[in-house]
Amino acid sequence: MTEVVESMEANTDLDSLGPVDYVVVEFPAGASSFTGEMAKELVALVESGTIRVIDILILTKNSDGTIDAAELADIAELGELQALEAQLAELLAEDDVVHLAAAMDPGSTAGVLIYENLWAAPLASAVRHSGGKLIANGRIPIQAIIASIEADEARATEGV
Amino acid sequence: MPLRAARVGRVGVVGAPVAKTAVIAAAVTPGPSPVAKTAVVAAAVTPGRRVRRRI
Repeated sequence: MTEVVESMEANTDLDSLGPVDYVVVEFPAGASSFTGEMAKELVALVESGTIRVIDILILTKNSDGTIDAAELADIAELGELQALEAQLAELLAEDDVVHLAAAMDPGSTAGVLIYENLWAAPLASAVRHSGGKLIANGRIPIQAIIASIEADEARATEGV
Repeated sequence: MPLRAARVGRVGVVGAPVAKTAVIAAAVTPGPSPVAKTAVVAAAVTPGRRVRRRI
């Protein structure tokens, strides 16, 4: 009976889990300027219940292609991120680090953020309860929107 | 790559090497200033500003 209850609790937790995404933000060599603004905004997203941070890593890709990975706890002065550090789940494995770093240029540093979209959890749960299932998702880059608009304008100018 | 021991030897969640997000060439070619482009994008995502064609 206890196992059944535990299983039900696990299912309930899974059912209410929001979509989990990752972002890799690259800072080319010499181009980073950390003022604390990013940390402040990230903490604000967490405190507002918009996202839950699951994992954070700071990666450095050396000129020979080797990768150095730093945990958030390795940073001397965490500032506002201190509050997040204790809640990290360390989801990423060694293989993930290699896969994520494949997008980086040699000499760059990148922040990797894994987060649960808490804001989407109720909708995702409702979709599942309704029999729906996610078959595709993605992000439309602003550059793609600009390109589309420019193509429209060019077409209008040409009178097509 | 000094990772915490807990991260080593586990099954990963990112299935394959990740490619850098592409920047579309048309958006970085000479043209309206970034500020002007921002205004255009804002207009494009505002309801009713764009005619949708049926496919």
